[in-house]
Amino acid sequence: MAARTWRRLLDDRPARAAAAVLACASLAALLAPWISGYDPTLQPDPVTLRLVPPSWQHLMGTDPYSRDVLSRLLHGARVSLGVAAGSMLLAATLGTALGALAAVVGGWVDSFVSGLVDVLIAVPRLLIVVALVATFGALSPWWLVVLLGGTGWLTTARIVRAELRDNLQREYVLAARALGATKWRITWQHLLPAVAPQVAVAAALALAAVVPLEAALSFVGLGVQPPLPSWGNILLDGADYLTSAWWLVVFPVTAITCTVGAALVLADRLRAAIAGEEQAS
Amino acid sequence: MTRLILTRLLQAAAVCAVVATSVFVLLQYAPGDPFAASLDGTDVPPSVRAEWRARYGFDLPPVERFTRWAGALTQGQLGYAPSQHRAVSAVLADAIPRTLLLVGVALALGFALGVLIGLLQARHRGRWPDRAIGALTLGGVAMPEFLLGLLAMTWLGARWRLFPVAGLVSEGDVAAWPMWERALDHLWHLALPAGVLAISVAARVARHQRAALLGVLSEDFIRTARSKGLGEWAVLWRHALPNAIGPVLALLGLALPSLVGGAVLIEKIFGWPGMGLTLFDALLARDYPLILAATLLATLMAVVARTLTDIVAELVAPRRVRTS
Amino acid sequence: MTPLLSVTDLRIDITHGAARAVLAGVSFDVAPGDTVGIVGASGGGKTSLALALIGLLPPGLRASGRVAFEGRDVLSLDDRARRDLRGRRLSMVFQEPFTALNPRQRVGAQVAEMATAHGQRDARRALRDAVTMLGRVGLAEPDERARRLPHQLSGGERQRVLLAMALLLEPALLIADEPTSALDVTVQGQVLELLREQQREIGMALLLVSHDLGVVAGTCRRTLVMHEGRIVEDAPTRQVFTAPRHPLTTALVGAVSRIGARA
Repeated sequence: MAARTWRRLLDDRPARAAAAVLACASLAALLAPWISGYDPTLQPDPVTLRLVPPSWQHLMGTDPYSRDVLSRLLHGARVSLGVAAGSMLLAATLGTALGALAAVVGGWVDSFVSGLVDVLIAVPRLLIVVALVATFGALSPWWLVVLLGGTGWLTTARIVRAELRDNLQREYVLAARALGATKWRITWQHLLPAVAPQVAVAAALALAAVVPLEAALSFVGLGVQPPLPSWGNILLDGADYLTSAWWLVVFPVTAITCTVGAALVLADRLRAAIAGEEQAS
Repeated sequence: MTRLILTRLLQAAAVCAVVATSVFVLLQYAPGDPFAASLDGTDVPPSVRAEWRARYGFDLPPVERFTRWAGALTQGQLGYAPSQHRAVSAVLADAIPRTLLLVGVALALGFALGVLIGLLQARHRGRWPDRAIGALTLGGVAMPEFLLGLLAMTWLGARWRLFPVAGLVSEGDVAAWPMWERALDHLWHLALPAGVLAISVAARVARHQRAALLGVLSEDFIRTARSKGLGEWAVLWRHALPNAIGPVLALLGLALPSLVGGAVLIEKIFGWPGMGLTLFDALLARDYPLILAATLLATLMAVVARTLTDIVAELVAPRRVRTS
Repeated sequence: MTPLLSVTDLRIDITHGAARAVLAGVSFDVAPGDTVGIVGASGGGKTSLALALIGLLPPGLRASGRVAFEGRDVLSLDDRARRDLRGRRLSMVFQEPFTALNPRQRVGAQVAEMATAHGQRDARRALRDAVTMLGRVGLAEPDERARRLPHQLSGGERQRVLLAMALLLEPALLIADEPTSALDVTVQGQVLELLREQQREIGMALLLVSHDLGVVAGTCRRTLVMHEGRIVEDAPTRQVFTAPRHPLTTALVGAVSRIGARA
């Protein structure tokens, strides 16, 4: 059934469009060192080249430090999307693992994990992250991945636990267990692949949540530290010139909004595909 | 119903306990001296510093410090905030109502607006108004609140000077103004931050409301309503909406923690001196008593808000009616 | 006498594509005050026919042809005119009494809405009329029941609520889609008697769709047999049961006879 769900998704036009947007963004991020025309951290001419509006030499203009905005945006994509993707994967893995643990082992492990999730989910994630960053000081992007991933696994865990618990009580599972298969084996071989589409939905939503979070952190100076570019700190650099230099705002904002929008559409269409498949079977 | 309230209250207590302990533990490992920020650069001799540390228990072992703090907490004493030279409770007493005002107004406005937009979309489902509005709501959800705030502040505030860009009230001798002028000024300052948050809420609510309405519209009793000769708006308003609003309220409750997070950033951007801004400043100043109390209270507020939303959802759309 | 309802070559197609039409050209008449039964196997198009007559086909289905009700072609009327007819001159009772009622609205209000939707401005009067009607359809303690929500009533009571709703404005034609299938046998008899009573009192015509031949045999003067979107037999009920002309009818009737005499 999971395989058919993926196929359903491929047929869906909005999903394809959203996937294309994300693919473009990822491609741009990956190829950034080769396709950006300028070094994103060098300040070639802080006197004459600062705050130049978009032109043929600088397609997105320059920032207050005379750096080319487009190059910074591309390299920023590397960092922002890299952190986002990394934390999304970490969150998805953690969530699946803990959800599966709770569902398969059950008993007090389940109570503990579920209780933990219920408590943590009520705390605003931004507060946790800000508190940790402000306490330990500025984090490298790798640690940011750990931090953001470590706070984003809650909904995935809930979803996986619910689905696995449901399925573990189905007849075909009981039959398999009667034949000697262990719960873990069944989970690994059959149930987890079956729950993959829902995990994908949670992952897409996690991506949609973490990109703005990283941008917000970088914007207030608690995220990616300059001169390393990120979509958030490009805005920070331009904060004082926002009224006069519109290009410092419009491009990063568009980049963030499009990425998040694409992730949301993908999650939406994936949900529809799952529901459609359930109806058909 | 009482069971729901009790469960939620217990959860709230658990959350607060966990958060309090975690933040406290965290701050033990944090580098930096809580008094460094406020006393550095002054001619305060080390002996005075040592005295301050002793007075606020910073020379005691962590466990003892924690029990002392927790004990004081239960007695309503939250300590002293070095960075603000005031008692923590005084700082929070000022900040909490401001955040409540901001979030409250944003939620109420956003919810009402979102429901209406969702209704409008459901009325014209499948046609271009639905699609156009859908694109707008997607944008509203995709754009983070702080960016929306930034844009609003930049263009509506700084550029076109329609609204003030920061603070609670205008400069000048505000206290001398008549009451209604002060209230109006206050509202004018509230408009942009609350408006931005409200748009974010409205976009989310609209999307959920539209989906819920479309789900309900395919049910049998809608057909019965139509067979009575009711027009489309009557069907939507009297039959579809009452059955579709429950899930939306419940979802709103789930989204509250992230809304509080967004509010914190909005406060920072607009200089709205509520819990969020207080917390930020306290973090940067390493004002531990204030950090602890503010984090705890912000979390408590989020949990309470969530409980209230759940209760309202249960009142408006009782589960047993939905599932029988 | 001009027929109350005159259906000419009614077709129902699926708008996006399947090959077979849901209804492949159906024609029949219903005289004022008449009782006509429509029978046939499931999927034969009976419910779609009923929905097409009242103009409530689900999206994705499209009706064409001519449906003349009281002289006017229902299919070509504008939305407002059609809504005016619904409930006032032409009513329908649906199959599943539970899902057909708004779970959050008291049943009295739901019945009263039929009146307020058609111009009754006095809400209290509408509610009173609704309660009276609930009493007439055989609901015990109607004013107490009127204040209940659907899930607080039994299946039989819910079906009566739907009937009260449909009969409130004394329509000229009532289309009843399986009005008794969700009910047990004793209640079935009561509901059918109720319908007969209404017909006697206000001269209402009844179009009864059912897969239950026993119900049709006992109630309808004329019977239409449908199969795969077409009418295969249109004759007085007695003739349909004793001397069926179409092999499918024979099979249908034969199946019932084997089960034995029905009360």
